[in-house]
Amino acid sequence: MASEALTAGKASPHGRRRLTQLPLWAGLTALAALVGLGLGSLGALLVQAPGISMASLWQEPYLAGVLRFSLWQASLSTLVSLGLAIPVAVALARRRRFAGRRLLLRAMELSLVVPSLIALFGLVAVHGRQGWAAPLWEALTGSQEGYLYGLSGIVLAHVFYNLPLAARLLLQELERAPAAHWRLAAQLGLKRRGIWRTLEWPALKRLLPRLAALVFTLCFTSFAIVMTLGGGPASTTLEVALYQALKFDNDLALAALLALTQLTICLGLWGLALSQGGAPSLAVGDGSAPLGGRWQRRDALGISRLTDTFWLLGLALLLLPPLVAVVVAGLGGLADLAHQASLWPALWRSLVMAAGAGGLALTLGIALIAGHGWLAARGKRLAAGLMEGSGQLILVLPALVLGTGLFLLLRPRLGGGWQGYGLVVLVNGFMALPFVMQVLRGALLGLPMAQRRLADQLDIQGVTRFRWLLWPRLRRPAALAMAYAMTLSLGDFSVIALFGSPSAPTLPMLLYQQLGSYRWQTAAATALILLATVAALFVLLGWLTRRLPRYPLR
Amino acid sequence: MLDANNLSFHYTRCDPGETPDFAFSFRLAPGECLAVSGPSGAGKSTLLNLLAGFLSPSGGRLTWLGEDLTDQPPWARGMTTVFQDHNLFEHLPVWINVGLGLSPDLRLSDDQRSDILDGLAEVGLGGLHDRLPGELSGGQQQRVALLRSLVRETRVLLLDEPFSGLDRGNREALWGLVRRQQAAGVAVLLVSHDPEDVEALAQRRLRLVEGRLVSP
Repeated sequence: MASEALTAGKASPHGRRRLTQLPLWAGLTALAALVGLGLGSLGALLVQAPGISMASLWQEPYLAGVLRFSLWQASLSTLVSLGLAIPVAVALARRRRFAGRRLLLRAMELSLVVPSLIALFGLVAVHGRQGWAAPLWEALTGSQEGYLYGLSGIVLAHVFYNLPLAARLLLQELERAPAAHWRLAAQLGLKRRGIWRTLEWPALKRLLPRLAALVFTLCFTSFAIVMTLGGGPASTTLEVALYQALKFDNDLALAALLALTQLTICLGLWGLALSQGGAPSLAVGDGSAPLGGRWQRRDALGISRLTDTFWLLGLALLLLPPLVAVVVAGLGGLADLAHQASLWPALWRSLVMAAGAGGLALTLGIALIAGHGWLAARGKRLAAGLMEGSGQLILVLPALVLGTGLFLLLRPRLGGGWQGYGLVVLVNGFMALPFVMQVLRGALLGLPMAQRRLADQLDIQGVTRFRWLLWPRLRRPAALAMAYAMTLSLGDFSVIALFGSPSAPTLPMLLYQQLGSYRWQTAAATALILLATVAALFVLLGWLTRRLPRYPLR
Repeated sequence: MLDANNLSFHYTRCDPGETPDFAFSFRLAPGECLAVSGPSGAGKSTLLNLLAGFLSPSGGRLTWLGEDLTDQPPWARGMTTVFQDHNLFEHLPVWINVGLGLSPDLRLSDDQRSDILDGLAEVGLGGLHDRLPGELSGGQQQRVALLRSLVRETRVLLLDEPFSGLDRGNREALWGLVRRQQAAGVAVLLVSHDPEDVEALAQRRLRLVEGRLVSP
């Protein structure tokens, strides 16, 4: 009988098998690497920079100005981004069906990952002195000066990046409200004001303090935007001053002072964010499914039609023209590509480095989350929190400090050339870690309780558990995380600016060189190639993991 | 003989000497089926989770033929639980779901793979080995879960309302599978509200009242 044949070869569950500690050790190794290299790099900088005087921050006019401007531009950018994100998110939640909604949502997601130099290129094409919007500006103000350089330009670029991110996260929060609440609101006939007070504002205000901390940190530590649009000592931030201290003045003491200041402010903010329930997920799109139902909300009628149109049109005008400008200008410059001998090596170099950084971020992310899960399952919440929190280190530790510190740590052994690029890969991997972890977290820790118990009872452990139970859930988020990490590395223009060689540039370096030498057409083509590479990465990785695997018996 | 001796559990911390929320004592012989019923919140799930090792007891002992199982992890107890649903890994086809019972690391020989096909045919699921659980009916899914418990070296089968919502034909087919297990010496603990299921399978009945097992 078949069942007898089956039972003859059955597995014995009685052999005491030690619960594998692999996740713990993997997590500890990653933690040691991160904290060791992170704090080690800061320590190396401090050791090399004796005589740091904190008082010079407010005593020396230049430094006091840098600190004041850093705080001012970040506060203003946060205020404008969030102030505009709220009505945009509410309008998007209210208007669930309109032509172009998907395109707008996609453009909002794209703005999170589009390399800063590309965004800058597009912003210059639209808002620069020769840009598409210049005639309108001149007609309105009579000024030919423009508004893209200095504080207004920096805030505009920060809003370009952070308004869509904030609006997307706020929209997610609005869509998380239980469908039953919306049904109740519909049955009670709640109007705009009633819905705002009972449903929308309570949902939004939970997220706002944490979101403000996130946006402020991103603006406060922004590098490429300030470096390009700052245009002088009056508009310099800590991060740019840090770069100048390292690259041009070789002033390690000043660099250490600036790094410590930035670290203290960012840590304070993150402490505040954590006390409010932790940083919001950086990975948009991981919220619950939007509520179903086909009824139209009562507050979608009347004056809302007008206001929602205004906000959504405004968002489209902010986001789409710069992206379209990159494509249009790039297409015009494609003919020049044949003459660009350095483009393809730069692309190849960027891709290899991005693959290395992505692989590193993915490995570290999986190890840290697995270790976190192992510890949390055993009730060690503090240790679990520390392990997971270490992945966020880079959000408070400037990437330039990490790179420089590592350079100082490894200097006796570090040669030039590819070793400098290796360092960039390492730092880029660290930089991508917070994003990667946010994307992977749900999939890695989300094995439902019933399935976990079933797996325990069947003694499915270790590699088999990973291969058959976790990996099928993990493969799509892993592909997305890899795409995020590779994109961040592909677009990096902070660490590479310090360690890259002008004769062997990456794509962003090449783009910066071309912009610097006013080769506009060529730069446009390079920007388009970079944008196309980012898009191709997302499409390719998504396509590779799109279909669920079927496991045939033979 | 499965022997639960004052196996107890607290949902909140309590002092020594304080009466626990739940305390279970009963015996279950190989091949016997014991039915347990009781109102919501009486402790049916707690009882099953304690027996399976998903919860750690705060006191008492659990033994099988004298072997102490109290602190054994779930996989080393020789127990298989079949719930009302979620018994299968939804993303894996039927044959892997059964194969995991045969070999937890899925190293299956060709003979074992053939045996899985024969086993599936025997429980009326011939030709469905490549289907995903979501492509089967509720009764078919429960048959796969029971077939997997059949291929494991199970000492005690814990059934948590496994026949709920199934039609008469499916239930009878599943009863047959459980009886086969009993005939092979497997002890069965059946949690069910349905008198027909209890009548069909159980030799003995107990009732759960406020965290204690009593005769009905």
